[in-house]
Amino acid sequence: MPLSEPITPGVVDWTGENPGILLKNDDDSFAAMALFFRVAWSPVGQGQVLLLYGSPNEVDAPTDAPNILVSDNADLSEYLLENFIGRLAAFRDAPAFDNLHHINAQSIHSSGDPMSHRYTETVSGEGYTVELVWEDLEPPRALELMPDQVGSGVHTMFTVLVPAQAAQIIVNGRSLPGKLGTRVQAGFETTSAFLYFSETWIIPPQVP
Amino acid sequence: MKRISINPGRVDWSGENPGIYLKHHQDDEAYCLLSLFFRVVLSPYGKGHAAIVLAAPDTAQGWPQETNFIMTDNQRMMRWIVDGWVSKMPTFVGRAGLQQMSWLDLDSVQRQPGDLKTDYREILRGSGVTLEMHWSNLGDPLPVEVTAENSATKEHEMYSVFLEAKSAAVTVNGTELPGAVQSRQFFGRTMSTAFLAFSETWVTPANQ
Repeated sequence: MPLSEPITPGVVDWTGENPGILLKNDDDSFAAMALFFRVAWSPVGQGQVLLLYGSPNEVDAPTDAPNILVSDNADLSEYLLENFIGRLAAFRDAPAFDNLHHINAQSIHSSGDPMSHRYTETVSGEGYTVELVWEDLEPPRALELMPDQVGSGVHTMFTVLVPAQAAQIIVNGRSLPGKLGTRVQAGFETTSAFLYFSETWIIPPQVP
Repeated sequence: MKRISINPGRVDWSGENPGIYLKHHQDDEAYCLLSLFFRVVLSPYGKGHAAIVLAAPDTAQGWPQETNFIMTDNQRMMRWIVDGWVSKMPTFVGRAGLQQMSWLDLDSVQRQPGDLKTDYREILRGSGVTLEMHWSNLGDPLPVEVTAENSATKEHEMYSVFLEAKSAAVTVNGTELPGAVQSRQFFGRTMSTAFLAFSETWVTPANQ
């Protein structure tokens, strides 16, 4: 619930959409990981970015399961890589992080309805077409999280979460292997496939 | 008040909701132009875009006799939002122009974000109308979280990221509508009557 003070203290880092799909192997390691960003405001402008670890545990990934960063704003992809993705341990610590292939996006579009059954983001560029598919969507929930409740560990964050009970990462028509896992966010048990809308990351003021 | 991480309320809709309110003179009591833009990414009635323009807010006549219209690609969603939100906002409540505005079909929306500091434009086309909303001289993003008691509708909690625009203009079919940005009290600060609003989410509190 909002606090009675209407202006949240701190500096906005970025705001927009940030859905993702994390697929796991039977041994609970990550099989494939994807984060999508549709940024409405950042210090380096608007834009859209797809981060795909088709092979999270490989520095040199095969072309049918690539490790790529696809964007229509190269400055934004660098900004997010350095200031945000690099703070998320699951992504920063994966071998894929050190050898991402940067690609200029040729087309990016969403389809479906986040309050219905299915929603997708499709990103194309340099011979790759990556489709993220979320299905069996749950009702949206508004979240207000403090730095100790978010992956970056340093932000206050507001968002609208739509959990998905089923999801796929499809690269050039081939669905990457792996299955959804569970995760707990601020005491709320959910899945590793999620839509996040109207998400705002704020650096709180320094406490003296 | 203690923050509750998972808001127990119902998410109604989420998206972007910038506006431009103009007066002829700062001392005028009434606005001569009220305009709002909507980019809705999540609602019970799907996604969609819209713009409301009331250049004769207190005249019970629609387009083309008066420049009082709404353009939208999702009329069902926008009738729900006009009834539940816009008509309850202090700036719009009881306005004859809102009740009698013409409902026009929207064919396309084009965002021209510029560098998010000097310029931002939304250009809408449809039903023989080309509408351009232009915000300029933008400030830093300001995160807000508003309780139902403090919100514009007095019924909903609201989260958003506001960017104040020191100047703005609304143009319909090449003609700039009269009026200028003024200042107003907003969440305890003196701010202008033109603003961008990203990542805006409206929530019905759990006790309603």
